[in-house]
Amino acid sequence: MHLEPFELHRPTSVEEAAGLARTHAGRCDFLAGGTDLLPNYKMHINLRPHLISLDRVGEMTHREGGRVGAMTRLAELERDAAFARDYPGVAEAARQVATPLVRASATVGGNLLVETRCFFFNQSQFWRASLGFCLKADGDRCHVVPQKAVCYATFSGDLAPALMVVGAEVEVAGPDGRRRFPVGALYDAAGDGIRRVTLAPGEVVVAVHLPAEARGRPSGYAKLRARPSFDFPELGVAVALSRDGDRLAALRVATGGLEPHPREFDAITARYVGEPLSPERLDALAAEVQAAVRPVHNTAYPPDYRKRMTGVFVRRTVERLWSGGTAA
Amino acid sequence: MTSQPILRLRINGQPVETPAPPERILLDLLREDLRLTGTKRGCDLGTCGCCTVLLDGRPTLSCLTLAHLAEGREITTIEGVSTGTALHPVQRAFVDLGATQCGFCTPGFVLTAVALLRERPRPTRDQVVEAIAGNLCRCTGYTKIIEAIEAAARAAPG
Ligand SMILES: Cc1cc2nc3c(=O)[nH]c(=O)nc-3n(C[C@H](O)[C@H](O)[C@H](O)COP(=O)(O)OP(=O)(O)OC[C@H]3O[C@@H](n4cnc5c(N)ncnc54)[C@H](O)[C@@H]3O)c2cc1C
Ligand code: SF4
Ligand code: FES
Ligand code: FES
Repeated sequence: MHLEPFELHRPTSVEEAAGLARTHAGRCDFLAGGTDLLPNYKMHINLRPHLISLDRVGEMTHREGGRVGAMTRLAELERDAAFARDYPGVAEAARQVATPLVRASATVGGNLLVETRCFFFNQSQFWRASLGFCLKADGDRCHVVPQKAVCYATFSGDLAPALMVVGAEVEVAGPDGRRRFPVGALYDAAGDGIRRVTLAPGEVVVAVHLPAEARGRPSGYAKLRARPSFDFPELGVAVALSRDGDRLAALRVATGGLEPHPREFDAITARYVGEPLSPERLDALAAEVQAAVRPVHNTAYPPDYRKRMTGVFVRRTVERLWSGGTAA
Repeated sequence: MTSQPILRLRINGQPVETPAPPERILLDLLREDLRLTGTKRGCDLGTCGCCTVLLDGRPTLSCLTLAHLAEGREITTIEGVSTGTALHPVQRAFVDLGATQCGFCTPGFVLTAVALLRERPRPTRDQVVEAIAGNLCRCTGYTKIIEAIEAAARAAPG
């Protein structure tokens, strides 16, 4: 499959990249590892005439301490034993993205902004034309929930939930300078599978910052997928906790692979902090998160199964971290 | 803009100059422009590993790489693995142990294995299995491929 022609820009600084994105607003995409964007381009999904490659932006490949440049390759993160000791859940999530061959190119920034997925969307142009295009590309209806003019495409990045539960922040640069905010705020909870992030036109993700105080805190990531060495998440559960004797001193739980954006459950987890974690309370926590998630039928596995497995994965992951277990 | 800038690449140790538009994918450039057809096109979407080449020694999917972004990097294709007519030890082991049937996936597996053994000369079985997780084979059932990579590791001096 050949790509349609585009103009390739190769800025060497963050400011230049953001400037190009402003100049070509609405008519450009950033290119990081290309492992998500190029398959979509090959399938003629939402093509843009300008590609802004970030490969020459030195600041974005730089990694130091808790600051991880957006162009850091997932393969590099997973080879770093010190990183895995500091942030075990993030490392565990990175190791479970796609395959080693994809991870050689795939970047941290691209993973946070990976396009949402849907059985009716990730198809060739021929396939999509046969059924009739959908809201997310070229069409005016949704095949999953036809009653509504809303897209339910699933957020399928593995890193975001794992970063959220350790309190990571993203650093973003745009026409108005730089800003930093929690990873979860990158996603538009009021949006849908199309309008999914809160970035303004021209804004680029520069780096992810992992907080020093979370270093070494027990955290983990569990992922359900059809082929354990290959596929996008059918659901992902990230947990970070700390223990004070037999009491739960802190707990954060986030999910991905279920809805148009990754999601955290502070209101639920807050009720379990400060108390001992009995088997009954663990079951109740798992049931509450399970009841809160709303998968729809647009991936390989049925939504009911993904929902029930969410409870199972929350229980297993919290239990593993509570009892001091390491990565699976 | 459909200008055809000249691309300067290093492929299998040789400098190569070839015109290529910005949207040219490395796999297409290798196969169609340079006739290096040892690199195979399977899925063309990142899901099979048949198009694997080494970029600066690391296995990389050429079907998801813009040719322009490979400028300044060392590209190794399956054509660059043997020395003259002498097979690389990984290739030798694939032949000797029957790790190839139709052969379509073989270049990708060989390059992945060559890179693995450079990084870890004595990999455990789990490390071999993990390294080849992105290469699919529809014929062999993988057992012989894994055995061949282990045999190549044992055959290497040291
Ligand atoms: C076979 C296969 C299996 C896969 N399995 C998984 C999986 O299991 N889990 C998973 O999470 N992903 C999976 N992926 C998707 C993808 O490989 C990863 O999400 C990867 O991390 C994306 O990073 P990238 O650098 O390649 O992104 P790109 O493709 O370069 O970009 C992705 C998107 O992010 C935007 N973008 C990239 N960087 C920035 C930035 N710094 N600032 C602003 N915008 C930016 C791009 O414009 C584009 O819209 C899979 C892909 C393939 C081909
Ligand atoms: S959820 Fe509906 S609108 Fe969104 S990609 Fe799928 S079919 Fe298209
Ligand atoms: S052809 Fe590149 S991964 Fe299949
Ligand atoms: S030998 Fe036929 S696909 Fe592997």
